Amino acid sequence: MNDSFSPLSRRTFLNQSGLNLGALALGGLLSRESSAASALQKEISHFAPKAKRVIFLTQSGGPSQLELFDYKPGLKKWAGKELPDSIRQGQRLTTMTANQKQLILPGITQFQRHGESGATVSEWLPHTASIADELCFVKSMVTDQINHAPAMTKFLTGHQLPGRPSFGAWTSYGLGSSNRNLPDYLVLISKMKRPSDQPLYDHYWGSGFLPSQYQGVKLRNAKDPVLYLRDPEGLPRHLRRGMIDGIGELNRKRLDQSGDPEIETRIQQYEMAFRMQTSIPDLNDLSDEPESTFDLYGPDSRRPGSYAANCILARRLAERGVRFIQLFHPDWDHHSRLPSWCTARCRDTDQPSAALVRDLKLRGLLEDTLVIWGGEFGRGVAGQGKWDSPEAGRDHHPRCFTIWMAGGGVKPGTTFGATDEFSYNVAENPVHVQDLHATALHLLGMDHEKFSFRFQGLDYRLTGVEKSRIVQDILT
Amino acid sequence: MGIPFLILCSQSPGIAEEPVSFSRDILPILSDRCFHCHGPDPSHRKADLRLDLEEETKRTSDGVNILAPGSLENSELWYRIITDEEDDLMPPPDSHRKPLSESERDLIRRWIEDGAPWGNHWAFEKPERPELPSDATHPVDAFIQQRLAEENLAPSPPAPDHIQRRRLSFALTGLPPATTMTSEESDWNAIVNQLLDSPHHAERLAMWWLDAARYSDTDGYQGDRERTNWPWRDWVIDAFSRNLPFDQFTIEQFAGDLLPDATPEQILATCFHRNHMTNGEGGRHPEESRIDYVIDRVNTTGTVWLGLTLGCSQCHDHKFDPISQEDYYSLFAFFNQIDETGAAGTKAKPYLAYQSPFAQPAVEETEKWYIQSQVLSKEAKARASEKFEPWLTRIRAQLPKGYEAWKALRPSAMQSAEGTEFAAEADGTIQTAGPFPRQDDYRISYNDLGDLSRVAGWKLEVFPHESHTHGQLSRGEKGEFILTNVKLLISKRGESQVREIEMRGAIADAQLDVKGRNYGKVGDTLDDDPRNGWTTKLEETPEARVAIFELLEPLDLHPDETLTFVLLHRSTLGDANIGRFRISATDQRGETVRSLKPAPLEELASLTGEIPGDLKNRLIEQFLLDDEEYQAIRDNAVQAQRQLNEFRKAAGKLNVQVLGKRKEPRETHILERGVWDAKGELVKASVPGAVLPLPNSENLDRLDLAKWLVSPENPLTARVVANHLWQIVFGEGLVRTPEDFGLQGEAPTHPELLDWLAVELVENDWDIRHILRLLVTSETFRQSSDTSPELRERDPENRLLARAPRFRLPSWMIRDNALAASGLLNPMVGGPPVKPWQPEGVWKEIFMGGKTYVPSVGPAQYRRTVYAYWRRSSAPTFLFDSAQRRVCEVSTNRTNTPLHALTLMNDTTMLEASRVLAKQAVDSESPMQDLAKRVLSRKLETDEANVVLREQKKALDYYRSHPQEAARFTTIGQQSAPDSKEAAEVASWMTVASLLLNLDEAMTHE
Repeated sequence: MNDSFSPLSRRTFLNQSGLNLGALALGGLLSRESSAASALQKEISHFAPKAKRVIFLTQSGGPSQLELFDYKPGLKKWAGKELPDSIRQGQRLTTMTANQKQLILPGITQFQRHGESGATVSEWLPHTASIADELCFVKSMVTDQINHAPAMTKFLTGHQLPGRPSFGAWTSYGLGSSNRNLPDYLVLISKMKRPSDQPLYDHYWGSGFLPSQYQGVKLRNAKDPVLYLRDPEGLPRHLRRGMIDGIGELNRKRLDQSGDPEIETRIQQYEMAFRMQTSIPDLNDLSDEPESTFDLYGPDSRRPGSYAANCILARRLAERGVRFIQLFHPDWDHHSRLPSWCTARCRDTDQPSAALVRDLKLRGLLEDTLVIWGGEFGRGVAGQGKWDSPEAGRDHHPRCFTIWMAGGGVKPGTTFGATDEFSYNVAENPVHVQDLHATALHLLGMDHEKFSFRFQGLDYRLTGVEKSRIVQDILT
Repeated sequence: MGIPFLILCSQSPGIAEEPVSFSRDILPILSDRCFHCHGPDPSHRKADLRLDLEEETKRTSDGVNILAPGSLENSELWYRIITDEEDDLMPPPDSHRKPLSESERDLIRRWIEDGAPWGNHWAFEKPERPELPSDATHPVDAFIQQRLAEENLAPSPPAPDHIQRRRLSFALTGLPPATTMTSEESDWNAIVNQLLDSPHHAERLAMWWLDAARYSDTDGYQGDRERTNWPWRDWVIDAFSRNLPFDQFTIEQFAGDLLPDATPEQILATCFHRNHMTNGEGGRHPEESRIDYVIDRVNTTGTVWLGLTLGCSQCHDHKFDPISQEDYYSLFAFFNQIDETGAAGTKAKPYLAYQSPFAQPAVEETEKWYIQSQVLSKEAKARASEKFEPWLTRIRAQLPKGYEAWKALRPSAMQSAEGTEFAAEADGTIQTAGPFPRQDDYRISYNDLGDLSRVAGWKLEVFPHESHTHGQLSRGEKGEFILTNVKLLISKRGESQVREIEMRGAIADAQLDVKGRNYGKVGDTLDDDPRNGWTTKLEETPEARVAIFELLEPLDLHPDETLTFVLLHRSTLGDANIGRFRISATDQRGETVRSLKPAPLEELASLTGEIPGDLKNRLIEQFLLDDEEYQAIRDNAVQAQRQLNEFRKAAGKLNVQVLGKRKEPRETHILERGVWDAKGELVKASVPGAVLPLPNSENLDRLDLAKWLVSPENPLTARVVANHLWQIVFGEGLVRTPEDFGLQGEAPTHPELLDWLAVELVENDWDIRHILRLLVTSETFRQSSDTSPELRERDPENRLLARAPRFRLPSWMIRDNALAASGLLNPMVGGPPVKPWQPEGVWKEIFMGGKTYVPSVGPAQYRRTVYAYWRRSSAPTFLFDSAQRRVCEVSTNRTNTPLHALTLMNDTTMLEASRVLAKQAVDSESPMQDLAKRVLSRKLETDEANVVLREQKKALDYYRSHPQEAARFTTIGQQSAPDSKEAAEVASWMTVASLLLNLDEAMTHE
């Protein structure tokens, strides 16, 4: 029995998409689903995977490490002074602040140490602070892009220009499917009212040159949670069933005549489509969740489309074996008014993110689910606007930022890497976004150097051509 | 199932019998396993050894022969690939290169033993016309059949006539054959010519070219601003209509502006190289963007004309192909002289102010639709107005004296997020007390809305109170309030989830008139942004304030539902939470919730005697808001008006992005590691010598580059183009990596045929139509695509073409096919982009409401997909696996997923086409076969007919007993509804039409 979301005959890919088999056994791929998937798995798996799935809590816009995690008490004495050139080292600025003096704005929040691990988390994230011992904070993240779209593209696809497969697409391609009623890679975007300054392009979860069934499927907060999922008005379920039966019977006759195995695949896909018409609404219907769930995730979780409600869905998807679950919460681009703007996004995300980690742990899912929280870059130590006004914000900063991870083979209760006293440069243990990719693939049981796909005559990897390293220190 | 003419041989002929060919057998191995460290790129070169050059490979190094022709034992290279010593073995096991296979080693062994003859990569040698086999009747068949004979295979018999017709028609026009065509076999050439001469042929080729050109109607990146480059799209269609020779087609797109006495159209052609994405993100350095655009042009040129992955040389010398980084930036230099700044949006000069001749017909078509919609709207208004007087009489009798449109609500629950305490008073007023948090959210719930059966809007009154600071509106330091956001939620008893109710707008009796994002305007409470919101100027004598919020759609209430209003006070400084307030609601739409004046019904209630004309008009307006039929017709008229305005604007002069030479030439540097501001050595404009050197290489410009590309001496372009044309007709190219003819690309399945076609193309003045005609008149094209298990096993990817290829049509063709089969297709050519049906909200969700997709009305809805509006951040959703148009794409991307199935089952275009097909079926004598003929170009066989009739009967039974469902099903789209007597019948055949359109056969080039 085929138990893949997209049992596309792999022959098609081989024919039409230039899949380089590399070390893959051709015979394995050409056979049907489960065996094909396991052949692929066997060939790219080099370690026993610690994680079977990923939940990526993408905070789009660049959350401020200075206000949230990277506690720099020494900065107080630098308040309003110019950032020393020895620290800036010619770092490029965006054209928004390039013509402005770089006057230091110390972090405006209070910090405390939390849990046994003593991690520093600011007052703006009390719920995250309360689970500090479950988390691994990486304070030495580095990227090389300073504008949103290129940086997010780099963060999620390994390359700054659009066109490469996303991290999620690589994962679903590599891991194959474990649920026959749902796609392997689902994307959930918080519903916000204000027009976003940073559109969330579908190439962030695209499949690039990988076959398109590995692309993320967006679960929309709309009448159609997946595009075209709903049957038209006036068409009852039993007639849809009949139509799919009819399509199947006539297609099978054509299959007998023509011998084209693509037809068999198509028959299966119509069946899968029919099943999705039930499985997706079931997934979205939270009426079977007890009140305690909503209490855990906070009041906003009752509002479908909110980040909090999406966190509940993420847990439900993890329970259903979906491989890659990616949430996007927009609007972290706080060029001004940190006390109102940044706190608003903290309130949206703090309790639900922490609840999700707790909930996964409670259900025994955390150990094989890798949770990643983070945005495409950090924010600079200089104030944007008048540094000493509550109106001040911060510009983009690629040289350091903080993310946290949990579960899936990551050491809990750790803080890894450190920045200099200005939270400007990484002082120890830099982790480039590509190192993050290499590490995550490693946790999923894949060797990032061997996991490649041939396109236009070249073997492409998520981690690209530069040397990337697995951050062994944070692994259990 | 057997294929009668197929001769299967018992063993596959290996390459063992043939002599080893360096370029075919050896070079690909060296390239794939060795060149990464021993190839053209010096930065990764190991042991100072390169194996891409003959003299370097056959030299002696420290007394060791790297490769000794004829002698295995004296060749270090041979030792290195067979040794068991892990430290010596090549490629090194830790390099992650695939180890050499037994047969690959064997090839290298035989090659060395044969004297290691050297040669060039096939694609860099100028193609010579190969001899045709003497008895050839058709050149294509000659080469294909010769190869089949070598493999002991035979071609398949001709495909059934209707399949040949469909295949031909899809390949050349992207549309199904007209049902009226005659079916005489002898007419094949005539049919071919007729199709090639049709404007639909040009549109079909344009779709190929638009994907390659990454054509789009928006910029991409942040903001994704609209652009008006569509006249270039029409230039492409027109060029294909005129069968403009491909060399001229190339020259005009590269350098139309540099031609003597260039016509506006020749300048327009250069938009090809402006179709890249442009980045208008705030904070972006324009020069960095400009460099990106130049790079995009180089890479696109490489992919489309040369079939080379030039992008690899952007950061370092190419690892496999003889393209150095200097070559790359020498090509870059051609495109570095454009008079552009790197800006996006409306500042992306150079522009050509161009008036398209193709817009006027679209204007006229929409004008007709507009006039008609006005008439319909007027009629509908008249019909609705007839109901007004009786309504007025009734309502007037019912209205109590002193009627008030707004009902003050009594809260059932009051909560705060940060600790504020509340006390409700008898009239619904709520007074705050207790702790005073800097910021707070109030959540006030109402489970009893009295006699209101719906809510159209709500009112927030803010009152002063003596307990407040200075007796003002808040207990905060200044006594002022700042309301940053409001939300309205509805929940049903017993359900844990709530629904958020959208609001259309807000007004207030007072607000601070601020600029930009700041605290003042009440409308700013409707976004999720805490940096703006509603506040008012404090008066010396404290005054109450009022705001009214209109719901997007009136909300019907049920008794077990609770409304919760959330008032957020999250301003930057805070300390400004509302002190005392009251919430009211109304069921009155229109003016009542859009103004602060008394509602029309309130005025009516206080009136005795004659109703003044002005009030009557206001009452009519309010009455009409609730007439759904009229509103729908009126919306259509409004949309027709909007569309007309849009098209009229498009018929004027538009700014089309084109190429233009900069007065001050820019210097071009090699960019280290491809980084935009890491300038290395200076280079001048030049072409890669390994492809074809240019003798006179001083002061070259784009025109020289274009002429070089289409020079008869250029080994690549004609092959690459011939391969594209082959791919259009046969689904896959002769080279299956159409974007890569380099060393890492695939070798052609039929090298001689490719060369023959390339030479034929050049010698026939680059006549594309001539080549296409050759391909589709071959027996190879016309043979059956049916296959047997044996043949599939033997040649699973159909590289030998012992059968015709069978592949799914591109998604755009599936849509066009449905429109054509149903007769909905609007055959107009050219003009401003149109908007086919897409699900609601597809743009909104990307831009969080910043942009809205509104489908076209009238005949504009049924234009071919080539005219569909292309937003880069949200490509048309019905094109499930198309090119993305972000960067140039020339290879096919065909997948088979449940999402396709859902799209084809539920897309409005597919359903509307089904509906029109069903109506035609009902009107015909033999509904089922009529449908089959239109959709599949054939009649159904008995067993098939039984299946179809079974489902049709099931549907008919259902719809006869559910007439309302039949009515809903048969009104999808914008066509007028079928007669109610006929609806069940039409609905039942509509399920059949949809079923047939979803058959594999209907969406496949068979």
